[in-house]
Amino acid sequence: MHKALLLTVILLLSYGFWLSDAFKGIAAGVSIFLFGMLSLEQGFKAFTGGALERILQRTTDTSWKSFGFGFLSATLMQSSGLVSVITVSFLSAGLLDLAAGIGIIFGSNLGTTTGAWLIAGLGLKVNIAAYAMPLLVFGVLCIFQRSKKLKGTGYVLSGLGFLLLGIHYMKDSFEHFENTINLANYAMPGVKGLLIYTAIGIIATIIMQSSHATMLLTITAVSVHQITYDNALALVIGANIGTTVTAIIASLGANIQGKRLAGSHLLINLLTGIFVLFFVKDFVAIIDKLSIYLGIAATDKAMKLATFHSLFNLSGIILFFPFIRQQVMLLEKMFIEKRPNIFQPKYLGASAMDFPETVVESVRLESIHLYENAIYIILRTFGLYKYDLQTNVLSMPLIERSNHNSIEYDIDASYEKRIKGIYSAIIAFISQVGFTGQMTQSSKLSWLREANKHLVEAIKDTKHLQKNWSRSRTSSNQATINEYNKIAYQIALHIQQIENFRHEIENNELPLLSLDTLKAAIRNDDVQMNYAIETLIREQKITPQTGSSLINDSAYMHNIKKNLLKAAETLFLHGTDGNARIERQLALNDAEINDIVQTVDTK
Amino acid sequence: MKIEKLFHKLHAFFDTDRHRKKQHIEELKKILLKLKKKERKITHALQQTNDDSLREHYQTELKIIRVQRVKGIELLQQLKEHKKAE
Repeated sequence: MHKALLLTVILLLSYGFWLSDAFKGIAAGVSIFLFGMLSLEQGFKAFTGGALERILQRTTDTSWKSFGFGFLSATLMQSSGLVSVITVSFLSAGLLDLAAGIGIIFGSNLGTTTGAWLIAGLGLKVNIAAYAMPLLVFGVLCIFQRSKKLKGTGYVLSGLGFLLLGIHYMKDSFEHFENTINLANYAMPGVKGLLIYTAIGIIATIIMQSSHATMLLTITAVSVHQITYDNALALVIGANIGTTVTAIIASLGANIQGKRLAGSHLLINLLTGIFVLFFVKDFVAIIDKLSIYLGIAATDKAMKLATFHSLFNLSGIILFFPFIRQQVMLLEKMFIEKRPNIFQPKYLGASAMDFPETVVESVRLESIHLYENAIYIILRTFGLYKYDLQTNVLSMPLIERSNHNSIEYDIDASYEKRIKGIYSAIIAFISQVGFTGQMTQSSKLSWLREANKHLVEAIKDTKHLQKNWSRSRTSSNQATINEYNKIAYQIALHIQQIENFRHEIENNELPLLSLDTLKAAIRNDDVQMNYAIETLIREQKITPQTGSSLINDSAYMHNIKKNLLKAAETLFLHGTDGNARIERQLALNDAEINDIVQTVDTK
Repeated sequence: MKIEKLFHKLHAFFDTDRHRKKQHIEELKKILLKLKKKERKITHALQQTNDDSLREHYQTELKIIRVQRVKGIELLQQLKEHKKAE
C-alpha cells in the first residue's frame, strides 16, 4: 500500500476506534478473520510438495474435472484467492493449459460460496468461539513441531480457529453497534443504491483482498438489520467482482498465460455481475421461492444472502462455462505475447516461485527453451534450420549445399540475443530460490543448472569449431572440405537423434536404453573421425597442419555432442518412471559400450 | 469372476514379494518384446539407406540392442530360476 494511503487508513481507523468501541470490535474481527485466512493459506502451502502436481495433472484433463478440482479445493481451503494463486502459478509453469485454468476458476467461484453458507448457517447461530479455542491451542501446538506436515496442520487448525474467532468478534460487535449507530439509516433504495453498494463491495474486497471477509461483514450486518437486504445483495455482487483482484495481483508476476487467466476471471465475474444487476428483481423472486423449498425462514436474510451468493455464481457458470474454448480464443487475442529482440524467459515469473514443484518445472521448461535456442544457433552455424532435421531431408548433399551457400553466422550476436538473457534469468531464478528442506527439488535444480551449463559449453565449442569450418569452405583441398562437411553432418545427425529420443520419451519407447545408442554413437564417431584424419595425413591427402586442426575440431565436435546429450538427458528424461528400473538393469556400462565401439571399428 | 478377481487381489496383497517378482518378470518380458520390435525396425532402416554415416549409426544401434537383449534374456532366466527355487 502507498505510504500516504496507509497513513490515512491508520488515522481514520484510529479515529473510528476512539469514536466507537463496537467499531473497534468489528475491525478487530475482520483483522483476526484475515489473519486466519493467511494462516490457512500458509498451512495448505505446506502440503504442496509433489502430490499437488500429480493431483492437478490427473484432475484437470477435462473441463468438468477442472471444475470439480476448483470446487473441491475452494470448498476445502475456504479461499478462492489461494486457488487462483495456485492456478496462476501452475499455468505460468506450464503444468496446466488455459482451458483447464478457466475450468478451475469456475469451480472455485462456486466452491467459495460454501463459506457464506457456513457463516450464515453456523457462524451466526452457534457460539463458534467455543470451537475456536481448542482449534487455536492444538494449532499452535502443532506449529511448534519440527515435521513440515505437522507444522502445516498447525497452520490450518489455527487458521480455522482465527476464522471462527473473527466471526465471533464481528457478530458481537455488530450487536453492540446496533445500540449506538444504525447503518440502515444510510440505506439507498433503487438503482442508485445497487450501483453504489456494488462499488463499495468491490472496494472493500480489494482493500481486504478477501471476498470472504466482505461476505462475512455483509451477512453479519444484514442479520442485525444494520444494512438493508437490497444493499446487501449489491455488496455481494461487488465482492464477487472485487475478488478477482487476487488473481490479477498474482498475474503481475506471471507470464502471458497467467495474465490471460486473471483476465478471464475478471471477465467472467464482471459479466456475471452485470447480468445479475440487470435481473436482480428476478433473482430476489427466485430466492424467495427457493427459500420455501429449502426451509429458510422469510425473515432469515443471512441465509437468503448465502443462497443469492450461490445462485449468482451458478448463473455465471451456466452462462459462460459452455464457452470455455471461445474464451480461450478471445483471451489469446486480447493478450498477445510480445516477441522482443532479445529473447526473454517465458516461464520464470515471480508466481512460479510460490511452490517447489512449480519452481522446478518452470526452470525445466525454461531450460528447454534455452535448449531450443542453442540448437538453433548450432544448426544456423552450419547453414541449417530445424526443419532440415527431418529423416528424408538431412543428408550429406544438403550439408554440402548449405556449406556452399551460407555466409558466416554471427554466433556472438546470436548468443547475446537468444542465450544470455534466458541463461542469466535461469541462474538468477535458481539462486533466488531458498528452500532448504526440499532436498529433491534442490538436487533437481542443481542438475538443471548443470544442463544449462552444458548447453552454453556446446555453443562455445561451436564457436571454436566455426573458425576452421568457415575457412575450409574456401579451401582448394577436397579432402579437407569433405572432413569438415562430415563434422557438420555428424553434429546435425546427433541433434536429429536427440529429437528422436524426445519422441521416444513421449511415446515411452525405452528412452533409457536409447541413451546407450547415442553414447556409443558419440564414441564411435570420434574413433572413426580420428582414424580417418590419420589415414588422410598418412596418404598425404592433407597436410599435418590441416590434420592437427581437424583433430582439434573433431574434439570440439565430440564435446558439442556430449554436452548436448547430457543436457537432453536432464531436460527430457524428467518424470519417466514406467519401466525405468528394468531399463536401468539392461542399460550398458562404459566398458560394454567401449567393446561395441571397438567391434564396429574393427568391422 | 468377481470372486476370483477378489481372491487374486487378496492373494497378491498377502504375498507382495512374490507378486512383485511376478510383476518384474512381466515388465521385463514386455521390454524384451519392445527391444525385438526395435531391432526389426532398425534392420529394415539399415537395408533401406545408402548413407554411410546413417548405416554406421544403425549398425551401432543394432549391436547395442543385441547386447541389451542378451542382458535382458539372462536376467529373465535368473528371475525365473529364482521363482522356481522358491
